[in-house]
Amino acid sequence: MDTVIQTVDLHKNFGRVKALDGLDLEVHAGEIHGFLGPNGAGKTTTLRILLGLARASSGTATVLGLHPWADAVALHRRVANVPGDVSIWPNLSGGEAIDLLSRLSGRAEDREGYKRRKKQLCEIFDFDPSKKGRAYSKGNRQKVALIAALATDAELYLLDELTSGLDPLMEAVFMREARRLVQENGATVLLSSHILSEVEHLADRVSIIRSGRIVDGGTLETLRHLTRTEVSFSADSVETHALAALTQVHDLVVADGRVKFGADSDRVHEVLPLLGTLGVKDLLVAPPSLEELFLRHYGDQVIEPVQEAHDGARRHRGHRAAAGAGA
Amino acid sequence: MEALWILYRQRLRRDRWQLASWVLSIGVLALFAVAAIAKSFGDEAARAEILRLATATPAILLLRGLARGPELGSFTFFEIFAFLALLAAFMNTFMAVRHTRAEEEAGRADLVSATAAGRWAPLAATVLHGIAANILVAIATALGFVGGGLDPAGSVVAGLATGAVGFAFLGVGLLTAEFFSTSRSANGASSALAMVAYLLRGFGDATGEVSADGMTMTAAWPSWLSPIGWGQQTFAYTGNRLWPLLLPLALGVACTAAVAAVMARRDVGASILTGRAGRADAPSTLRGAFTLALRLQQGAIVGWCVGGLATGVLTGSLGSAIQSAITDNPQVTAVLRSMIEAQGTSMTQLLVAALFEVAGVLAAACGLQAVLRLRQEEAAGTAEQVLSRPVGRVRWLGSFLGLGAASVVLVMAFTALGAWLSLVASGDTSSAVGEVWLTAVNQLPAALIYLALPAAVFVIWPRATIPAGWALLGLGVVVGIYGSMLGFDQTVRDLSPFTHSPVTTAAGTDWGDGFWMLGIAAALTLLALLAVRRREVGSA
Repeated sequence: MDTVIQTVDLHKNFGRVKALDGLDLEVHAGEIHGFLGPNGAGKTTTLRILLGLARASSGTATVLGLHPWADAVALHRRVANVPGDVSIWPNLSGGEAIDLLSRLSGRAEDREGYKRRKKQLCEIFDFDPSKKGRAYSKGNRQKVALIAALATDAELYLLDELTSGLDPLMEAVFMREARRLVQENGATVLLSSHILSEVEHLADRVSIIRSGRIVDGGTLETLRHLTRTEVSFSADSVETHALAALTQVHDLVVADGRVKFGADSDRVHEVLPLLGTLGVKDLLVAPPSLEELFLRHYGDQVIEPVQEAHDGARRHRGHRAAAGAGA
Repeated sequence: MEALWILYRQRLRRDRWQLASWVLSIGVLALFAVAAIAKSFGDEAARAEILRLATATPAILLLRGLARGPELGSFTFFEIFAFLALLAAFMNTFMAVRHTRAEEEAGRADLVSATAAGRWAPLAATVLHGIAANILVAIATALGFVGGGLDPAGSVVAGLATGAVGFAFLGVGLLTAEFFSTSRSANGASSALAMVAYLLRGFGDATGEVSADGMTMTAAWPSWLSPIGWGQQTFAYTGNRLWPLLLPLALGVACTAAVAAVMARRDVGASILTGRAGRADAPSTLRGAFTLALRLQQGAIVGWCVGGLATGVLTGSLGSAIQSAITDNPQVTAVLRSMIEAQGTSMTQLLVAALFEVAGVLAAACGLQAVLRLRQEEAAGTAEQVLSRPVGRVRWLGSFLGLGAASVVLVMAFTALGAWLSLVASGDTSSAVGEVWLTAVNQLPAALIYLALPAAVFVIWPRATIPAGWALLGLGVVVGIYGSMLGFDQTVRDLSPFTHSPVTTAAGTDWGDGFWMLGIAAALTLLALLAVRRREVGSA
């Protein structure tokens, strides 16, 4: 598989602060790659180095076969970028800023096609291009950069903390567009985020960064092998001794009128027959979420209340999984 | 009340260095002016002779003030007050905008107004801050004059006049800020109003009525339209009248009351003049780094060109007015030369040289702003947007510098055009008419230094760009253009690029220093273009 982005032992120091501390990142052609990490982990610094806006202190970075710092201009003809915190010119309208950025990219040669695409994107993102730059909110400023990036066909899209400014409706629109880029144009997308759910639903592979290093990575499938699926059902008059005896079942508890346990993700099916004989009601099977991976890497210790909150989110997804299983 | 006190202290803390340097500069300028005048025009007879000459020459009155006798005190007040008052006016308009419109534009006013401070405490704190600052200006001016050996009573009046003019412009600045949605426009408009006030009193003084002995004069009506003109009416040292200061104080209070009335009706962040909606598509010309720079700078360039044109027209019309009163006495011309600090043989040439030097400062400021815009683009994060497209750092920097150089030339071209048109219209047929173009070219090397030097600072020490840029220009003006009036040594004056501008005389033009300055500007530009290849551009 073609490698689009490769960094080897990348370091970036700001004075004594090590923003990147030996980062090895690999992104393949035609994939949506999630770049996950908490604030301050080095995501934006990495993206700036990949764009040639910042220079690595040591180590190598190759993007589309080019050296980002030395070949910045050639690289930028093929890469579209949406920064996490978008600033636009206060006295240019949003539409003018989109046009300027697209023209600067050198990929808006087909004028009619570009115009049509811009108009269409403004509509689907519900964006009014005739306001002056200073009048836009954070989310709308981000749409300027996003529309300018999507209106021209690039080989690689670098999107930094994209959905931090978009509402859920726009996030869904964006996800549809991102999938289209990859499926129709064969583009590659690197999507940085500290929000797991957006990456989880979109990314083929993820890299998890912490303190300037990649601490884990791979496809979601391989990562999920390391995790447990959470199963819960209504506790009314159900005898759970038989369940607790199974080797696939861990941490079985009864709380708030529900029985909960974790099962090894690759052995969930071995538990299901027993659940059937028990005749459980209101069954929820929640696939493992990246949140668990996240907590493993970032939480030096797992804090209970945090997990409770995450449980709530997981139950949501559990409904969907249960509905899928029933069909 | 507590909120008011907290906000006042916050303003004082935020402005402490800026305020100190304004107040100190004004006080030191007053002190230097007395010292220089006492040194070069020591005895009263000499001052009387010069004053007689000055009152017969409207151009000098325009740049100086209202003559009220040859005593050292009143002569000093005549020479320097209008300039001190203009500085005080600038200090106040910038201060007013900084703490009102700029805060609203940045969104910080929302944060503050959402607390118990409410909508009124920030305004009250700004007014309080301004009053305190103007009291400091009054004290510094008075101390400067007393320190130079002038009569204390007159010095206090002169100090109060400076402070009162400052307060009037605090109000003007606050009111201007109500009109515009951005601090940039508000600063531009209120500084322009300060310049208008300076010029109005200039016209009033130039066309005033002179007494039979040529020692005193009364200003014509345009001076009464200007707060700076009101300050002159105190007749410090000879009349020591305080009642004219009621006018600037009343203007300041009236403006503040108008601001309060507007604020009672508007949203936080709103302005009287609202920006028009933009166009949905960019014009097809907006497609590269250079056209972006042009789009961002066009308002400023037009403004500076209008300033250049006005200076040129003024030069031409004054030059022709003076032709009638011209004297070929070389002694008189020598004195004039030292008073308007310029070279030249005929009166028109003198005037062109003196006022084109001022236009050269406008051109330098216009060029400087192109570099400052680079830094603003970098700090705002919009530079990163451009540079993450196929635009190299060298091309980006080069585009802004190229535009800066073009705008420097443009400002001087408009100055020369204004002077040429008004001289031709007045029927002047002397060689001075053709020389305006050459004199305009003479100002280019020094102005280009103010493009190249800040560019080098921008690449090497980005954070210093904006303060260093303005400070270098300010120092260059004070040392190079007002240096001899302030009694600076020649070695100090030689530090300013403006001192080295080529001068056209009957014998021709000495281009030596001009070529040196062009060479230095080219070398600094090259350094900046080379060094930017290795520099990261970000918001750091």
